Amino acid sequence: MSALDAPPGERRWFFRPRRRAAKSHRRPSLVVMICLLWLALVVFTAIFAGWLAPFGYTEQSLLNRLKPPAFFGGPAEHLLGTDGLGRDVLSRLFFALRTSILVALLGTGIGAVTGTVLGILAAHFRGWVDDIVMVLVDFQASVPFLIVALAVLAFFGNSFVLFVCIVGLFGWETYARLVRGLVLSVSGEGYAFAIGTLGVHPARIYLRHLLPNIAGVLVVQLTLNFPEIILLETSLSFLGLGIQPPGTSLGLALGEGRNYIATAWWIGLPAGVVIFLTTLSISLVGDWVRDALDPSLAQSE
Amino acid sequence: MSGPFLLRKFARCLLTLLLAVTFVFVVLRLSGDPVQRMLADDVPARVIESYRTMWGLDRPLPEQYLRYISQVVQGDFGVSFRDDRPVAAIIAERIPATLNLGLLAFGITLLIGIPGGIVAAMNRGRLVDRVVMGFTILGHSLPNFFLGILLILYFSMTLRLLPSSGIGTWQHMVMPAITLGTSFAGTVARFTRTAMLEVLNQPYMRTARAKGLGRPARVWRHALPNAAIPIVTVIGLRLGALVGGATVVETVFGYPGIGSLLVNAVAQRDLAVVQGVVLLIAFTMVLTNLIIDLAYGWLDPRITTSGKETKA
Repeated sequence: MSALDAPPGERRWFFRPRRRAAKSHRRPSLVVMICLLWLALVVFTAIFAGWLAPFGYTEQSLLNRLKPPAFFGGPAEHLLGTDGLGRDVLSRLFFALRTSILVALLGTGIGAVTGTVLGILAAHFRGWVDDIVMVLVDFQASVPFLIVALAVLAFFGNSFVLFVCIVGLFGWETYARLVRGLVLSVSGEGYAFAIGTLGVHPARIYLRHLLPNIAGVLVVQLTLNFPEIILLETSLSFLGLGIQPPGTSLGLALGEGRNYIATAWWIGLPAGVVIFLTTLSISLVGDWVRDALDPSLAQSE
Repeated sequence: MSGPFLLRKFARCLLTLLLAVTFVFVVLRLSGDPVQRMLADDVPARVIESYRTMWGLDRPLPEQYLRYISQVVQGDFGVSFRDDRPVAAIIAERIPATLNLGLLAFGITLLIGIPGGIVAAMNRGRLVDRVVMGFTILGHSLPNFFLGILLILYFSMTLRLLPSSGIGTWQHMVMPAITLGTSFAGTVARFTRTAMLEVLNQPYMRTARAKGLGRPARVWRHALPNAAIPIVTVIGLRLGALVGGATVVETVFGYPGIGSLLVNAVAQRDLAVVQGVVLLIAFTMVLTNLIIDLAYGWLDPRITTSGKETKA
């Protein structure tokens, strides 16, 4: 789980020979196209899960328990088979996808906003505000986030809102550090000073003038953070400490599948494959976006 | 490495530890009255009061805070809510298993990651490089719990070679160590490659080649020591991921270490055990970071006695 430590622009050449790297920023390679297609499919499925799913995700059929997938000799109406309660694995996969994507989107948004605001505050006020934020950043960076998340879940119990907040806090310190540095360097530039002397309110300066200037870097950080958040959510749910039944998420589906691994591999495996392909796609597309946003990275390689 | 440098490092470590203890204390008190959570609803008020007195919950908060710190410093993490045994003892009996697994996984990480990164850097742009880097991307997208399940499916269920869970023989260690070790190896390989590429472009590498040094001497004597600093930094920074990964991997393989202890304690809301494990992990992380900071001075004499890194 470590997209954060990927040096920017480091993996790009793997799918696009270096010779052509400088010229083909606009046109994505075949691999990136396939990834984009997969992501579009994921988003489409997540949005329309209710219409696409042949069965309800809690709909049980005790006569049809543990049926293998249709292509392994199971009944044709359950394409990916059924689980221990006779629920359709494919339908549950769609709904799990919806939950996981929703949590990841909300979480990414919360983390980005929290980190950005704290970073701006630190850079604006300097002094003790800055000190406090930076000590918190150091603390967050030195203790494994999964452990902090587990502790908070233990102390406060589990609810969907709390869970989303915890997932959302992941990575806030990276945004905070990044934005603080950027704001400090941008504030020194003439235009920020010029607007300031016009008597414009600081909040307006940050929102209207500084933020657009650092948006590119933030988007890059978003693409690095998103797959990690999916992995965090699925890890916690897999441990049984995230999304709670009767709800479902990709991690929870895989966790439930682990209990049946000796007899019914098809319960968990599809969720694992979807997690894998989705995080892989986001990473690869993220690399491509980074190149498109910052061509200077390609030249430095 | 001089006095002030060390002193500042130590002060920072202590501050982080104090923050961790404070964080745990605040969260512990915010989360409600432990007595009420532990005892049944129909317990008489008199008993509840006596428990509160016994645990010092009737004292003012600052006093509770100081008392908590002094207990933690003395290694007293309280008593498990579940079976009344001291938390310190419960944790202590799990430490060897986790240490074994962690060291083995760490060894695998280094054995795969560093040579992989070096080979990729030496063959930059060629097939070997692409294969290695491809594996790092795959490894970093493949969640370790999924990899663990795939391994169980193949080696335990299909081939029936290795036990799927538990502890005891060396066979029990194979799959957890591989799962945990490989999850981190990709990161190390990627950074080793980057660090090596940076060094390989330096003028002194050309000089070494010009004076007729063989390839092994150039790589081992000239390139690797100079690339070591960023590699060690990354390993240190990402050690937390290894610790977090251990909780997941131990759970997948039913391996009785600190990680599965924590997960079970969270599931049962055994707060005494949770705070003990969290503090232990925080302490370990801080200590590791300190050791890594000290290792810099040994790896690179340019990180001077003033504690500042000078660009030489």
